[in-house]
Amino acid sequence: MPASTVQGPAPETQELWRRRLLRTLLYGQSVDRPAKSQARIGLAIAAFALCFSVIAGRLVMYAASDNTTVRRSYAADAVATARPDILDRNGEILATDVRMPSLYGEPQRIIDKDEAVELLATAIPDLDAAEVRERLSMRRRFVWLRREITPKQRQDVHRLGLPGIGFMHENKRVYPNGPLVSHLLGHVNIDNQGIAGIEKWLDSRGLADLHLAGLARDRLQRPVELAVDLRVQHAIRDELVKARTKYKALAAAGLVLDARTGEIVSMVSVPDYDPNNPREALDPTRINRLTTGVFEMGSTFKALTLAMALDSGRMNLNSMFDARVPLQYGRHTINDYRGQKRMLSMSEVFTYSSNIGTARMALALGVEHHKSFLRRLGQLDRLRTELPESAEPIVPRRWAEINTVTIAFGHGLSVAPLQAMMANAALMNGGFLIPPTFRKRSEDEAMQVATRVLKEETSEKMRYLMRLNAEKGTAKRADVDGFYVGGKTGTSEKVVNGRYARNKLLNTFTAVFPADRPRYLLLVMLDEPQAIPETHGYATSGWNAAPVAGLIIARIAPLLSITPRFDLPPAERLILASAPSPTRR
Amino acid sequence: MMRILNILVIAALVTAAAYVYKIKFESTRQAERLAKLRTEIRQEQDAIAALRAEWARLDSPARIQELADRHLKLRPIEPRQFDTLDRLPVRPPDLVPPDAADPIGSLLENPSVLELPTASIPQGRR
Repeated sequence: MPASTVQGPAPETQELWRRRLLRTLLYGQSVDRPAKSQARIGLAIAAFALCFSVIAGRLVMYAASDNTTVRRSYAADAVATARPDILDRNGEILATDVRMPSLYGEPQRIIDKDEAVELLATAIPDLDAAEVRERLSMRRRFVWLRREITPKQRQDVHRLGLPGIGFMHENKRVYPNGPLVSHLLGHVNIDNQGIAGIEKWLDSRGLADLHLAGLARDRLQRPVELAVDLRVQHAIRDELVKARTKYKALAAAGLVLDARTGEIVSMVSVPDYDPNNPREALDPTRINRLTTGVFEMGSTFKALTLAMALDSGRMNLNSMFDARVPLQYGRHTINDYRGQKRMLSMSEVFTYSSNIGTARMALALGVEHHKSFLRRLGQLDRLRTELPESAEPIVPRRWAEINTVTIAFGHGLSVAPLQAMMANAALMNGGFLIPPTFRKRSEDEAMQVATRVLKEETSEKMRYLMRLNAEKGTAKRADVDGFYVGGKTGTSEKVVNGRYARNKLLNTFTAVFPADRPRYLLLVMLDEPQAIPETHGYATSGWNAAPVAGLIIARIAPLLSITPRFDLPPAERLILASAPSPTRR
Repeated sequence: MMRILNILVIAALVTAAAYVYKIKFESTRQAERLAKLRTEIRQEQDAIAALRAEWARLDSPARIQELADRHLKLRPIEPRQFDTLDRLPVRPPDLVPPDAADPIGSLLENPSVLELPTASIPQGRR
């Protein structure tokens, strides 16, 4: 301690240490030379110590922080952002990212343009030489020569050693199955941002924000699993494409819904497009008819009317309805297609698909009852799923009795087919309305979002009616031996210039299999199918949509692990007899 | 005394400098290796992604169906072709012990095996 030697031992050192420190650093006049020099040295030591501690501190900070420079140089290369993979329910890849080299040129740095073009053409044979020459002649610093070349071509171009030619790696969204899952998946734009379907939904879940923050560049994002089954999707698309050519239809669509979980196992709408080539999606004939279009569902809607009648408790399967004469309502006459001209029981109303019978049923219950029932089944509000594209149902503004009459048999109310299937699932699965989803969902999860809309025994009777219709009604051609199919046909005339056109039909078919223990619902829709010799000049649903549904079920039921069962008793004994409450009064 | 101390301090300084240099060199090398490995991992991941995409394309049901139609004589499975394991008939007992030296001779020795059924008819379906 140099200061203490100057001051000498003093009893008051403790009290004066502060003043003494000040004096050793900023010496006064009274201090002698050795003390001065020692104080100066002390000051120098303090200054240097400060400098070095700052340096040491910075070193520690650099060491502790991540090695950011390496990562940044790599990330700058990734022009388009990364997206998570999309898998089907079995883990098959539906969409994935692939890094593709892209070729660019810097025209100012190229020495001999003609030589460069010539050499590039040898490495990439299908390169448009004229276009490349034109691009390289532009007065710009950067021009794309070719987006997405193969690794082999990259190697070849690299070997040419041309100055002013370089590569940049980009993430490119790839859909290995082409048009197979198009409408469901949607597609991305050139910057890898989702602009339709599930891809857009992914972005809306916060991926877009991650992109903006520059965080979603990595491949380590968790893949998204969907409920769709690729094999089922293919089987349905294959059959629908065949059916579309066979019946010369404008369009065809198919949907498979899990009755117990609300999962959409398959959704096909042909004509579709290849998401690898999103320009095709702009064609308005290629829209997704199942969610983006609304349609008058025709006779398949009768199932809802019958369920309403049964659920009200005021009618049962043996209630009789007068179908002897057409129903006159103001200026309108409600007729049956090939009417029976007699009294029909409720089961017969369903199997003969009687418009008069269903209309009378709905009239007996009243407009308000009808309206609230359809609202309860979600038919009057827009159905929202993960898909951003959804259509609002077209509901009559003034709902008079005539509207109830026509809506009872599926005219005058246009809904999205997916929406109608959700209601049909509720009729089959014991009365639970489950919002459909494109993501995987277990039965327990489905029960948490489900609401009970029908009584258990109503659903039981509806299953009986659906099966009965396949046994001796209009759905006979859809019955596949072994899978106990139940179904309902629907043929509606399209509205052209405000009038129903006799020759422009929209045929639908809803099927449930197995009808005694429903697992899956199937919807087949054919837009303007034509009569062909094989159908004996008929173009109604029972002649085209129903057999297509049969073909589809025979193909997809084994894929959906439904064991075929043979020699089952008819619906009367298998479904009605097992009902928990007495069904016949 | 002071000189020895100075020499020791200088020696210590040189050693420390050499050691620090070695550590620094080593760490640079490690950092370079790390960066290289990272790049390699990224390249491998990209290659895996590309291969998986290619696999998915080759594995696409549409392509498989086309190939099967062109090259195989298989037809789609019919519902009647499915059956359950419990309807599988039991394996018939061996008429001849597998290790018999003289199969016909052992049959003659034990004539009761000849009365066993040699085929089965599935129950419930004719």
